[in-house]
Amino acid sequence: MSSHSTRRLAALLLLLGLGIASFATAEDPQPPRRNYFVYVCAESDDTVHLLRYGPSGFEELDEIAVGSFPTETEGPHGINISPDGRYWFLSIAHGMPFGAVHKYETGTNEWIGDATLGMFPATMDVSPSTGLLYVVNFNLHGDHVPSTISVVETGTMIEVATIDTGVMPHGARMNGKGDRLYSVNMMDDELVEVDAMRFEIARRLYLGTDPHAGMDHGDMGNMDEMRAPVVKPTWATKPSPAGKVYVAGNGDSAIYEIDLEGWKVARRFDAGPGQNPYNLEITSDGGVLVATYKSGKKVGFWDLASGELIAAPETSRRVPHGVVVSDDDRYAIVTLEGVGGEPGTVEVYDIATAQRVSEIDVGKQAGGIIYWKGEP
Amino acid sequence: MVKTICSFAGRRSDRLSLLGALACAGTLFAGTAAAQDPAELVVDPPELMLEVGETAQLAATVRDAAGNTLERGVVFFSRARRFVGVNPAGMVEAHRPGEHTLIAMVPREAGAMDRRAEPAVMVQIPVTVPYPPLASVGIAALPGNLYAGTTMRVTAMATDTSGAERKPDFTWSSSDSSVASVSEHGMLMLKGEGSATISVSAESVSGEAAISVKSNPAVRLEVSASETEVRTGDVVRVTAKALDAGGNEVPDYPLQYAVSTRTPDTLVAPGAAAFVEPDGAFVAERPGLHTVVVSGGSITARETIRANPRNIKKDWEILGRGPVRDRHTSDLWVWEGLDGKDYAITGTWGADGHAYFWDVTDPTSIHLVDTVRVDARTVNDVKVSPDGKFAVIGREGASDRRNGLVVLDVSNPTDGVKIIARYDDQLSGGVHNVFVAESHILALSAGRRYDILNAEDPENPYRVGRFELDTPGHGIHDVWVEDGIAWSSNWMDGVVAVDIGGGGQGGAPNNPVMMGSFKYPNGWNHAGFPYRSQSTGKMLVFAGDESFPFGFDPEGKLPDRAAGWVHIAEWDEDGGEGREVARYQVPEAGSHNLWVEDDILYVGYYNGGLRVVDVSGDLRGDLYQQGREIAFFEPADPDGFKPNAPFVWGPQPFKGNIFFSDWNSGLWAVKLVEPETPRNMGEPN
Repeated sequence: MSSHSTRRLAALLLLLGLGIASFATAEDPQPPRRNYFVYVCAESDDTVHLLRYGPSGFEELDEIAVGSFPTETEGPHGINISPDGRYWFLSIAHGMPFGAVHKYETGTNEWIGDATLGMFPATMDVSPSTGLLYVVNFNLHGDHVPSTISVVETGTMIEVATIDTGVMPHGARMNGKGDRLYSVNMMDDELVEVDAMRFEIARRLYLGTDPHAGMDHGDMGNMDEMRAPVVKPTWATKPSPAGKVYVAGNGDSAIYEIDLEGWKVARRFDAGPGQNPYNLEITSDGGVLVATYKSGKKVGFWDLASGELIAAPETSRRVPHGVVVSDDDRYAIVTLEGVGGEPGTVEVYDIATAQRVSEIDVGKQAGGIIYWKGEP
Repeated sequence: MVKTICSFAGRRSDRLSLLGALACAGTLFAGTAAAQDPAELVVDPPELMLEVGETAQLAATVRDAAGNTLERGVVFFSRARRFVGVNPAGMVEAHRPGEHTLIAMVPREAGAMDRRAEPAVMVQIPVTVPYPPLASVGIAALPGNLYAGTTMRVTAMATDTSGAERKPDFTWSSSDSSVASVSEHGMLMLKGEGSATISVSAESVSGEAAISVKSNPAVRLEVSASETEVRTGDVVRVTAKALDAGGNEVPDYPLQYAVSTRTPDTLVAPGAAAFVEPDGAFVAERPGLHTVVVSGGSITARETIRANPRNIKKDWEILGRGPVRDRHTSDLWVWEGLDGKDYAITGTWGADGHAYFWDVTDPTSIHLVDTVRVDARTVNDVKVSPDGKFAVIGREGASDRRNGLVVLDVSNPTDGVKIIARYDDQLSGGVHNVFVAESHILALSAGRRYDILNAEDPENPYRVGRFELDTPGHGIHDVWVEDGIAWSSNWMDGVVAVDIGGGGQGGAPNNPVMMGSFKYPNGWNHAGFPYRSQSTGKMLVFAGDESFPFGFDPEGKLPDRAAGWVHIAEWDEDGGEGREVARYQVPEAGSHNLWVEDDILYVGYYNGGLRVVDVSGDLRGDLYQQGREIAFFEPADPDGFKPNAPFVWGPQPFKGNIFFSDWNSGLWAVKLVEPETPRNMGEPN
């Protein structure tokens, strides 16, 4: 058992004994020896923040103004890093009317290029096997009509394909091989597996309770009327080493474990009423899942072996949004949107103790977050 | 050790291959290549020439460094998929003409990954889709009478076999150059009596027109001007006709108009001081004596017009302020309350969802009477019902992402403004702009359409109609209602007029009927203001741009810079379309919201401040150049949200004063006063 696993187990036993509690920020009892870098989007300030958590604390290294209209809030929403760490990609939700994805160089944060996509492009991921970027067009505010996933060649920043998916696609994470993308269609209550090489949906998994579940999607001409979304999934993780994908059920306040081999729901974790999980992330060994509870104002830490909740500390600000896990699985870094004129906040949690160890304010409505790198 | 090379084979190579892994970075790297690693991708055919609609199958072969064929998947895509498509099996179909590129790539294996986001190998497949051949070339109709010694412009048209209009390079010729010839610029010169055939050709297609040139009976031109002494900016109608020896008008006689100018000695290097358009509309931009020269063949005539300085400049008096220095201020609305007092409401931008209510009864003593806060970051637009009973504010950046609008009881702001309704059904994407027309609210939804809500009971508004364009990629930014016609501003689609009850097209709030539109090339249409000129009776559309081509200071400390101008179109009330006749353009600044009243245009010109412009009479050309600007005011505030950075959002004339909101400093009230020394803006006394 690794030292991390040992610490997690100890923490789990401790916390299960103590019950679930709220945690105030505590000084990191074991301050990091490495530096951890993340990029964070402030959706209502049109800024991206480069942050570093390390031996010297949690600090902002750069604030990058994004968008092109100073008098329009264009809404940077999703962010990701190229697998080689050289570039970061940013989705801008609002345009005239279409949104876009922008490419920047990491470190210098120099703008490289952009591509116009669909309505409200949001979450994205890059295939490490081809370099192609997959961006879901959330189309959050339009009529409930099927939307698409855009495929972008990142060298030229050209949209080379669109994949018809479903209503309000959100969350997009690749498998390690880079040939499958997992995303959810929020208003269709479904998880989709995208064949990233053929630019088409390979499999769909209906997560709801409709009796017509399992019907071919193409036959469901009037299913929008028949199906009122219940699960309202908002996120799908990358597959765990055990071949599981985890889906946030924002509508029914649950987390779904999907067995990829069997393409079925393996387990359902009840987050409790009013918690509404929103974004998820798992540790690299698939041992712990971290979930932001958007309405619950908490961060849930789940032990995936037992399926037990480790802890759900309350966040320091309202509306938790994004979460990433550091490459050494030590920290979960969480964004909090805030409300109105409140700044956004980014919190660092020690995964082993599920305890918040640091926080920093950034621009308003901190949402999208991506882990860049860790270094000595 | 295998050194891999990033290069593409030329498009005319026998086969396209890329040895190595990097296709686009142009870099070299060294590494250990396993025997089964893909090292070469061969696509057959290596390039394609396809007609529109034609298909072709690509075959791909993957080999390792030893030349062994590997069973590996190949990903195909097009860099111009709307012009040429390719499916996952490599089937190609040409859609539109041009030079295009397809890509074939072999993904890297999971085990070979070293965090490089690139395929193992990749090749480009050039695809040429030639334009369809021309089907016809023709010459636009010429006048019925052609006279020796005259000149006119001729135009040619071309259509290809797909039916699309084309604009190829044309070559002109004449069967008899002693009768007529055509210059390379399309000027038809009629040289002598007789018949000839004018030909135009492009590619291998030609067209022709037989012409008959008559002797030229014209002996003189008769010219008149609607006025011979005017002010700069006034439109003078110059009319001319050719007469024969008997004094009869010569029909179809081609005339050209030009102008020579002489400005006062005190006005040095004035540039173009006046212009005359092809229809004889003359406007002086500078004072002086300007001579319109009309020519037709070898005869000419002149008419001299004196242009005096317009002398409309006024100065400012700042009456009062409602400063907002801790956040950006957005739009404003000023109205007379039910209690007889005057009020203004201002929104806030990128902050905490506040709307401020000001008592402006005495503009020299503006004071805040109430503040409303809603769950939003931006309250971009604010409007008050014509009866002064309720206000509507739009929400953007709500914490639950359900934005919508909020209705406020403003029947007695002094005693407090109350929220009486929230409405977000199908408006969750943010209501950037609203308008209240009688008992209906028009609310933009997510920049795509506007919904029309019945607000007879403002506490319970409900949707009765909706309007959305069906053009590709359509967007909308603003809407304004005048006499039962909704005029929306739609970026690339320009200003769109919709009958919602007053347009005579059967429209109603629950049945909006599109009447027509006025669009213009730059696609920056952000605001529109319909206005019937008091001086001419013409229906005009003032269409304001919004653009930020200069970017903005990423540090957020320098003043922002905008671009764009106000386009002025005469609106054809029968045909439902606008014809742009004039502009008001302040160089190095950009227009935003605008208002027209009593033939005066008020523009919030962002970094150009507040601008007031005389738009009386007919309008032609660039009003900024013509001395029509009455005044401008740049509201710098050293303690502003961004110090000393005027950024005027929107104006509203009200009871003889002008109120406006500034993004960085809040609400202002000013009035125009007579200047101590009248003069044209930018001109010497």
